[in-house]
Amino acid sequence: MAQALLEQVINGLMTGSIYVLVALGMVLIYGVMHVLNFAHGVLFMVGGYLCHFFFTRLTGSYPLALVLSMAALALIGVAIERSVFRPLQGNLRNQVIASLGLILVIENLVIALWGPNALQLRTAATERLVAIGELRFPMQHVMIIALTAIVVAAMFGFLKWSKFGTALRATSQDRSAAMVVGIPVERVDMASFALGTALAALGGALVGPLFLVFPQMGDAPMVKGLAGILLGGMGSVPGAVIGGLIIGVAESVSTLFLPTDYRDSIAFAIMVAILLVRPRGLFGLRVRGEA
Amino acid sequence: MPRIFSLLLLSALSAFTVQCFGQDKLPVGIVTSLTGPMAPPGKFQMNGFNLAAEEINGAGGIALGGRKYSIELKVYDTRANPAEGASALQRLATVDKVAVVLGELHSGVAAAEAPVAQDYSLPLILTVPTGPNLTEQGNRFLFRVNASNDQLNLALADFIGKQGWTPLSFIAWNNDAGRGGVNGMKKLLGEAKSGYVGYFNVGDVDFSSHISNIRASNARAVMLFMDEEPGSLAIKQIRDAGLKAQLIGTLAMGSDRFLKRLDAARLEGMVQYNAFPPNANTPRIRAFSERYKKKFGEEAHGFAAQSYDGLMMAAAAMQKAGTASDGKKLRDALASMEHEGVIGRIKFDDKGQAHPPVYVTQWCANGSRRILYPENLKADCGAG
Repeated sequence: MAQALLEQVINGLMTGSIYVLVALGMVLIYGVMHVLNFAHGVLFMVGGYLCHFFFTRLTGSYPLALVLSMAALALIGVAIERSVFRPLQGNLRNQVIASLGLILVIENLVIALWGPNALQLRTAATERLVAIGELRFPMQHVMIIALTAIVVAAMFGFLKWSKFGTALRATSQDRSAAMVVGIPVERVDMASFALGTALAALGGALVGPLFLVFPQMGDAPMVKGLAGILLGGMGSVPGAVIGGLIIGVAESVSTLFLPTDYRDSIAFAIMVAILLVRPRGLFGLRVRGEA
Repeated sequence: MPRIFSLLLLSALSAFTVQCFGQDKLPVGIVTSLTGPMAPPGKFQMNGFNLAAEEINGAGGIALGGRKYSIELKVYDTRANPAEGASALQRLATVDKVAVVLGELHSGVAAAEAPVAQDYSLPLILTVPTGPNLTEQGNRFLFRVNASNDQLNLALADFIGKQGWTPLSFIAWNNDAGRGGVNGMKKLLGEAKSGYVGYFNVGDVDFSSHISNIRASNARAVMLFMDEEPGSLAIKQIRDAGLKAQLIGTLAMGSDRFLKRLDAARLEGMVQYNAFPPNANTPRIRAFSERYKKKFGEEAHGFAAQSYDGLMMAAAAMQKAGTASDGKKLRDALASMEHEGVIGRIKFDDKGQAHPPVYVTQWCANGSRRILYPENLKADCGAG
C-alpha cells in the first residue's frame, strides 16, 4: 500500500506539474488583462505539435525543439493578443466568446495540417527509465516535475525582482495607476500573453513524448488547470501552483480508493469543497473591479 | 429518316461493342469507410473486395442464364455514421438496384443498415463489425462472415482458463465495447477469477493509476480491451513501470502495424486473439497472403481476408441461385451454402452468423508471432 501510495503521489506530481504550467499561463494573462483565455488548452496542444514538428523535421534535438516551440508559441500568443484580444479590450463577454471561437479555429487548423490521428513523439529521454526504490518511471516523467519546479522558481524570481516583473505586477494591481507612473501597459499585455502561451507550449511539448500528440490533448489540462486556478484563488500566482499540484495529486491518489472513472469528479469535488469554505480560493484576495 | 438510321446504327454498334469488348456489369453494393475515423481499417476492407472482384472478373465473371457478367462494385462511404449507412443502403436498393450488399466496419452503423436491408429484402453480408447483438435481431437478410465479440471472447476465455492466468485484471474503454467485453469475459471465466477492473474514457492517455492498482491486486494477467492507439500507450506504460503481469490484447494488437508503434522487447510474450494469422502455414492462407502482398505491397490483413471471402461467397450464391436480382432467392442460397474461404469454412447458422476459427497468437522476441490456439493449428514464431 505504501508503495502504491508513493507511486500515485509521484504520478500526481507529474500531472499536477502539467496543470501548473497551464494554470500559470492563464493566471498571468488573467491577472494583467482580466481575460480568461479558454483557448489556452489548444495552444498547449499546438505546443505539442510544434515540438513534434521541430524535433522530427528540423532539429532532431528534443531540448532545442522544446525551446523553439516555446518561442513559436510566444509569437503566436502576441499575434492572438494583437488581433483578437486587444480590439475587444474592455468587453469581457466578447473576449470570452472570441477565445471559445479560437478553440474551433486552431483545433481544426491543426487537424487540417497534421490530420486527426495521434502522433508519436519518441525521444531518447522518454525511453530511458529511472528507478525509485522498486518503482520505475520514464525519465521524461521525472523531467517534467523537475523542469516545472525550475520554471516556477524562475517565474517567482522574475515577478519579484526584475523591473519588468514589477511592471507586470503593478499593471495587474491597478492598470490606470500603472499608466500614470509610465508603465507601457500594452507592452505588458503583450508580454504576459507571450509568456503565458510559451508556458502552455512547454506543457504540451513536455507531455507529448510521455503520451501522444493529438488534437484533444489540451482539453483535460485546460479544464484541470482552470480548476487549479479557482482552487488557488483567481489571479494568484502561488495559488495557481498549489492549486494545480493539489488537483494532480488528489486525483491520482483517489484512484487507490475509488474506481478510476471517478478520477475527474474528484478534482472538481475538491474544488467545490474548498470554495465552499474559502469562496476566494486558498490564496485569493479581493481584486480590483470585484464586489 | 436519317435520324432513325443513325439511331439504328448506334444501337447496332453498341451491341457490337458489348459483344466484343466487355460483359454486362453486375452491380454489387459495398458500404465501408473511405474517410473519417475508420478510414485506415476501411482500406483493408476495400483491398479485400477489390482483390476478390478482380479475381472473379479475371476468371470470366459470373455465368447467369448462359451469359457472363462481370462484377462492378458500387462503393458508398458511410464514415462511421449510422445515418450515412442507412441512406447508403436505401440508395443501393432503390437507385443502384443491387442484389446484395457487403462490408461495413462499425457495429453501430451496421445496426442502422440492417433494418433497411430487411425492408428491401436485400441480403447484407457484414465482414468486419463484431457487435454480438447484430445477429440477434431476427433479421433473416443479415449475415456475418467474421466472428463476433462473443465468439472471440469464448476462444480467449478457453485459452486463458487452460493457461491458469488468473486472477485476470482488465483495463477497458468506458463504453459499450469495453464494458461489454469485460462483462462477457467475467461471465465466461467466473467472477472469482477476475481481479481489478479499470475503465478509461476516450482521449485518456495516462494509465498509471490502473498500473498501481493492478500491481496491488497481484493479478497474473492484464487484459486490454481497447484498440491500437491506447493499446500501445498502455503497454508502454505497463512495461516501463516494470509490471510483470502477462499481457492479453485484442484483434488490433497482433499486426506488424502495431509492432511499429512499439518495439519487440515491450511486446514479447503478449498474447491476443486474432481472426486471421497472415503468415500461417495453411495453404489457403499462404496463397492469399502471397497474392495480397503482390497486389498491395504489404502484409495481408484479417479485414481484407474476411471481406474477400464475403464477396467470393456472394458470387457463389448468385451462381447457385441463378439470379442477380432476386434478393429472397439469394438470401436462401446464402443461408444454405457452405464455403471454403481463406479464413476457414464459412457456414451461416440460423441467425446468419458464421463460425470461422479464432486464433490466439503470441509475440516472439524477434517481433514475429507464433500461433498458440487452436491446438491443432499451433505453429512457432513467424507463423502468426
